[in-house]
This record gives sequence, C-alpha cells and structure tokens, in this order.
Amino acid sequence: MTASSSRGGPEAASPRAAAVSIAVRARPRRWFSSQTSRRLAFGYLLLAPAVLYVLLLVGAPFLFSLFLALSDASVADTTASFVGLENFRAAFESDVFYIALRNSIGFTVVAAIFKGLLGTSLAFLLLQPFWGRKFIRGLVVIPFTLPISISVLGWKWMYDSQFSVINWFLSRIGVIGTYGSAGWPVWLGEPHLALLACIMVNVWRNFPFSAIVLLAGFTSVPTEILDAARVDGTSFFQRFRHVVVPMIAPILLIGFLFDTVFTLSDLGVVYLLTQGGPANATKILPVLAYQVGIQAGALGRGAAIALFLFPLLLPLMILMLRNLKRREY
Amino acid sequence: MAAAPRTQRQKEIRRHLWIYGAITPYVIVAIFPIYWMALTAFKQDPDLYRMDQFPLWFHLAPTWKNFSYLFYSTNYGAWIVNTMMIAAWVAVITLLIAVPAGYALARLRIPGSENLGIAVFMTYLVPGIILFIPLARVVSMVGLQDSWWALVLVYPTITIPFCTWLLMGFFKTVPMEMEEAARVDGCGYLGALLRIVLPVSVPGILTAVIFAFTLSMQDFLYGLAFVAPGDQKPVTVGVPTELIRGDVYYWGSLMAAALMVGLPVAILYNFFLDRFIQGITGGVGK
Repeated sequence: MTASSSRGGPEAASPRAAAVSIAVRARPRRWFSSQTSRRLAFGYLLLAPAVLYVLLLVGAPFLFSLFLALSDASVADTTASFVGLENFRAAFESDVFYIALRNSIGFTVVAAIFKGLLGTSLAFLLLQPFWGRKFIRGLVVIPFTLPISISVLGWKWMYDSQFSVINWFLSRIGVIGTYGSAGWPVWLGEPHLALLACIMVNVWRNFPFSAIVLLAGFTSVPTEILDAARVDGTSFFQRFRHVVVPMIAPILLIGFLFDTVFTLSDLGVVYLLTQGGPANATKILPVLAYQVGIQAGALGRGAAIALFLFPLLLPLMILMLRNLKRREY
Repeated sequence: MAAAPRTQRQKEIRRHLWIYGAITPYVIVAIFPIYWMALTAFKQDPDLYRMDQFPLWFHLAPTWKNFSYLFYSTNYGAWIVNTMMIAAWVAVITLLIAVPAGYALARLRIPGSENLGIAVFMTYLVPGIILFIPLARVVSMVGLQDSWWALVLVYPTITIPFCTWLLMGFFKTVPMEMEEAARVDGCGYLGALLRIVLPVSVPGILTAVIFAFTLSMQDFLYGLAFVAPGDQKPVTVGVPTELIRGDVYYWGSLMAAALMVGLPVAILYNFFLDRFIQGITGGVGK
C-alpha cells in the first residue's frame, strides 16, 4: 500500500524526492552539533575551572572540617580516629568557650550599633552636594581600604601603655590624670577596656563601609519619587520612613550581612591587639579556634570551635541568598 | 535687585560651613591614626618616647632612619617581593578562571546560570576562619606549607568568587549584537569571546585584577596560619609578626613598614571602592 501510494508521475515525484532528501539530511545531525548544545558545551567548559576550584578549595575543605571536628586529628599525629561529638562536648564543657561565644556576640552587636549610627549620619552628610565632596569621601573611606593588619598596628601604638596618644589627649582635656596616676587607662591591659579597644578598631575600620553602602542606597532612590512625596505634604521623617527605607531595604540588608559576617569571623583585630587577653577578656571564637587548632595543634578541637561560627552565620547567609535571588540579576 | 543673588550666595556659603563643620569630626577620626603613624615613622626615637611635649608635631628633625633600618636589617624587602609575586600569581589565576566563568554565566544562557552565579558568589562569604584548619591540611598535602606559594593556592578562593560575580555583571553590559555579528561573520563562540568581548571588557578585567590584588592584601588569617618561615611571609603578615621581637616594639620602623605598604594599597582600593560596593550590592546605585 505504501509503495503504491508513493508511486507517482515523474513530474510529481521530483519535488517530493527533494523534500525527503532534505529530511534525511537533517536527521543525522547529532545532539552535539546543534547550535544550542554547542553553546552549552562551550559554556560548561568555561565554567568548569571555577566550579572545580571552588569545590576543591572551599567545598571539600568545608566537608573536611566537619570530619576533623568529629575526629581527634592533631598536627603531631597524622592518623586521626573518629571520636564522635567529643570535641563539641569538650567545647561546651570549657569555660573559655562560653566566654569566647559571649564576647563574639557582644562584640558584633555593640560594634554594629556604633557602625550603624556613625555610618548613617555620615551617609546623610555625604549625600549633600558640597564643594570637595569626592575628596572628603576619599579621606573618610581610608580606614576601610587600608589592609587590616596594617591599621591594627597603628592602633596598637595608639593604645600604648605609656605613650598612648589617646591618653595624652584625654589627659590634656582633663578627663584623666597624668601618667602614673590612678586613673591612667592601660587600654590593652585592663579587661573591660581591652574589649572596648578592640570594638573601637572594628568600628573605626568599618563605619565608612556602612556609610558608603547607605550612600549607594540613598542615591538609588529616584528624586521624582521623593519630590512627589514632598508635594503630597509629607515631612522629612515620613518620607524617610515610608519611602526611602522600604526602597533601600535590600541594599541595607546586604551591607549589614556583609559587615556582620566579616566582623564575626575576623581574627586580625583581636589577635594583633591582645591575643584574646587579658584573662580572656577579648577572647572571641576566631581567636580561640586559631589558638586551639593551629598554635596548640589540636586540629579537631579547633575545627569544632570554628564550626560553631557556622550556625551563627548560616541564618545571615540564607537571608542574603533570598535577597539576591529576589533581585533581577 | 542685586541683593537676591548675594543672599543666595551667602546661604550657599553658610550651608557649606555647616556641612564642613559637621563632617570634620568624621574626617579627623578616620585619618588621625594614619597621620599619627606617619608622624611616628619619621620621628627620631628621643622625640618619640617622651611625654612632656606636644606629641602631634616634630621637635627634632625628621629622619629616614626607620625606613633604611627596614631594608638593611630586616626581611622587609623580601616580604614586599613575596607580596608582589603572590598578588601577580593570584591575579593571573583569578583572571584565567573568573573571566571564562563570568562570561559563561552572563552570556551562554546555561540553564540555572542565575543560581550558579549566586552560588559562586556565596562562597565569597564563607569565612576563612571556618576553612583555615582543613586548608592547612590541604596545603601540607600538596607540599606548599612554609612557602608563599601556599597563599597563591588559597587566595583565589576569595578572589575567584568575587571577580566572577563582578565580571558577570560587566559582560552583561556588552551589547549582544556585537557578538552575534561576529558569529555571523564566521567566528565561533571562542572567537567571538577572544576577538570581540574581551577587547571591549578591558576596563572590567582591569578592575578584577585590582581586586585580586587588594582583596588578597586584606587577608591576615591565611598568611598567619600557612606561612611560618620569616623570609616567606607576605608583607601584611611579616610586619606585625616578625618586626616585633619579644616585648620590645620599635614603633618608628613598625609604622614606617606599615605605611609604606598600607597607603599605596589604600589609595588604589579607594579608586575602585565604588565598583566593590556595586559588586556586592548587585549593581544598585548606578
């Protein structure tokens, strides 16, 4: 039946033959030779090195740190055996761990409050048009752009027990006495002052960051919208509360999350200023993890302590992720 | 009649005075520590360690002694060379990996590319403090412990995610038509990338290089944990750990050492700060 139906006159056969031959020629094209799959193959090839690097040097170490935290691995001994949650139990039973956890959280919260206040006020000032604004902006962001270990050294010298320039100033305006008198603050030597001193360095370093992020947010609010709100007779604070804040909320959140992650996980400031002393007054989780894991060589214990930062950081990262995904990018 | 512009001008001047007055405390707080460091670096010791004088200016002639001490009696020169070598290698590795990845994510319409991009960027947020202990094992496994090559291996974990994200944004701004035109003219995907996209992306690539450099200069933890020998350290770790001997601090040369590397980095970073902020906030603001 099929044979007879395909049979036809010579005039009719030739166009049909042409059509068949086109279909036949198209069929052998394999999946890899199509435009789309070539593009995708090329894409995956370009992407592979980055994915591999990140998997090998971030993903795998992260899993490895989970394993280390469950083992008694140490620098001295190359064989490690599984010890279950022993390292976590040991951490929970040590007083230093609780001190470090409390200091870490207190440090981050207090510093965030000051950075928020200083950053917001500075952002409002930098929002005004004035002569030399770019230059002044360049000056105030220097603390953030200076490498961290470099600026901490400068602060360490400013906190010197005898030649502290801060004390010179305080003494000059009459807040404290002269060197040797009872009220002379030894910034890095007294427990309550030492934590304050570390927080001050963190605030000094990062308040320009808060200001710049806020500034980027403020300038992204179209002036037409503000003008429209002004025409409607709203006050400055109403406009701020109901127009500006909702519009810049995503950028605000990202800035806050970034700063919190970096503050919570920063070792440099405290390590260089006080090494966690005096009497654990400035011991924070990163310092404890470094001292236990690297200096004392107890890799397992150190990894377990460092991992305690993860539950603190995880909610922040999830917030960040949701924020980024909502954005059209 | 002539009074109107004049009051306008006076108003403007008054507004400026008000702003300068309000912003001065911030500027002083921000740069005083740097001024103090610079002053210390140039002071002679007898001028530095005394308490009966106004400390914020010189009482003896400024000196270069603190700087020459660094180069003649310490490993400072070696640290600077190490830092430069590390930065150069990190920049090369970052570019070789982040440029293709950023291009693929931005342009080749890979399924799920948006999520992949976000995932890569999120790794920038995994802090070193969680990774440094396992990475110490990785570093010694590949035999790079106690050499600055260890840092060449680990710094790209910071710079690749950030630069991929940055370049992704950048490649999206290159008009698609240019590439399509090139492909119509017979270029393959690779040809279009190499001949059309890369040349117009030079500013973006340069920005990525700067970040590869400045972000690796901001690290302290990895340098401290992975590189022990004195002559192998990068300058940001060598200065605070090696120049301090016991409890004796040579503040003059310490400050000289700190500023000589700190200021150039700070100034360079300063020019690219807006791109950094744009990068992390996903391009809002411009």
